[in-house]
Amino acid sequence: MACLPPSKERNSLQPGWMFPSMTFSSEKIQNFSAALNEHFDGLYAYAMVLSRNRTEAEDLVQETCVRAMQAIGRLRPDSNVKSWLFTILRNIWLNQLRQRRTASTIELEGGDSTAELAVETSKGPHEQYVSKMERDQVREAIQQLSVESREVILLREYEELSYQEIAILLDCPTGTVMSRLGRARSKLRALLSETLQVPGPRAKGAAE
Amino acid sequence: MNPCHEYRADILLYLDNALTGRQLEDFRAHLSSCPDCKAQLEEELALSSLLRASRPLYPAPDGLRARVAAAAAGHDSARTPEPDLLHKARLRIFSQHVRHVAQRAFGWKTLTVTIFALVLCVLLAPAALRRARAMAYVKTAIATHRSYLNGELPLQIRSDSPKIVTSWFAGKTTFHFQLPISPPTLKGEPVYRLTGGRLVNYQGNSIALVTYETASEKISLLVASSTTAVAAGGEQVRSGGLTFHHHRDGSFNVISWTNRGLTYALVSSLSGSAQHSCLVCHQDIATQALPGRTTTGFVSSGSEKYGFVPPVFFIRTRYRCENHTCGVTLALYTCGRNSL
Repeated sequence: MACLPPSKERNSLQPGWMFPSMTFSSEKIQNFSAALNEHFDGLYAYAMVLSRNRTEAEDLVQETCVRAMQAIGRLRPDSNVKSWLFTILRNIWLNQLRQRRTASTIELEGGDSTAELAVETSKGPHEQYVSKMERDQVREAIQQLSVESREVILLREYEELSYQEIAILLDCPTGTVMSRLGRARSKLRALLSETLQVPGPRAKGAAE
Repeated sequence: MNPCHEYRADILLYLDNALTGRQLEDFRAHLSSCPDCKAQLEEELALSSLLRASRPLYPAPDGLRARVAAAAAGHDSARTPEPDLLHKARLRIFSQHVRHVAQRAFGWKTLTVTIFALVLCVLLAPAALRRARAMAYVKTAIATHRSYLNGELPLQIRSDSPKIVTSWFAGKTTFHFQLPISPPTLKGEPVYRLTGGRLVNYQGNSIALVTYETASEKISLLVASSTTAVAAGGEQVRSGGLTFHHHRDGSFNVISWTNRGLTYALVSSLSGSAQHSCLVCHQDIATQALPGRTTTGFVSSGSEKYGFVPPVFFIRTRYRCENHTCGVTLALYTCGRNSL
């Protein structure tokens, strides 16, 4: 279950590191366009991990890009654009969740069927580090994790954000990120050890 | 309490390259005497390698970029257009709405269509066009390197100081970058030496040529804004969250990649087929050698061969496969950061 601070109003267009008075420049537009292109796949993967629904993921990415472009003038020169984009996406997703919120619960695990998630990812012979079957097994194992585990795995292992960057993005302490990641990795090892050559969690000291 | 308990968190910190100084020394000392923690670290590394080898987890669908670009320009009608209609839609979007949307979004009357369209152009660029642009950059990199070797491109700044060379480029290009201060070493010896740099014209833009040399060869590195140059095609190796594109032209080996708004092209004259084959044929080893974004690896066996260096550095990876050992300059990983 995601950690959703109920009383904190999030505004996806106003992360803390942006200033409305930021001077606009063509260089900023150019750099932003390059960053958007560079992280486009990553944004989509993050959206898929959060929503587990292809249509929702595409809508999330689209909305993220539109809002980011509208807010580009407020980016500081030293902003971490990647984290900024991911934060926007996450905040849009959280706001959508709140809108759907029922009296007491949030349905996070609904998603579509596994078949919906099965997409071909191979793009060339040199990306075949693992077989398609293994890739599917990894994907399936990740989808069995809780949403908060899925997102820390995605942000850390696939997007390679640092713990500190993840903590800022998730708006929680770095220690919380580490404990979530520890649990997620332990669970993932347990799931993957059943099918792949990955050592399972150790009997003692495992986080979960 | 389990005496190893406190080191469990250190394992995660180690994976994030967050252990430094005394903490790192203590952790390594503990690993050398604790099979359990060492095994735990190896398990974590194995998991990371598997996950990172399975990237991308979910590649974006082909039509999404076009849809996003259309939506960004104020249209949401390009969800599933036919190719020719999509092309017309792009033109229509650019000609009729970009200025309006730009002014509505930003409120700057002086914002030109050309500038705003750059955002969309990058997203809309089809794969074939990207490959063509990438090849132009690769060929320029090779031609530049050849001219540099022949003495036809004298360096405008000669220095082995990254700080001096960085300062010299400041203000001369439309992008900003910073050369790594301290190169990593192999057994205490620098793997390369910065020699200087100069400006090079590329499609009407001034881009940076940075030159290095090792004991046996000269290496040149082109640095350009990723809106000016793109990296695509060739033989691709994913490592450390980046995709490296390898092109071979005669005796020249070109590695290009994009990171943080800059596109790099590293040209060298790696000799010997064995070295080349290691890089091309043993990418699984390359992946294992680079489990993190700030690692440079020496692969032989086990996990205690990783040397961690700052995130701005020059990678030289030594591969040891079953038949031979060779050193390969993999890439200048992150030479700087484009400002945004």
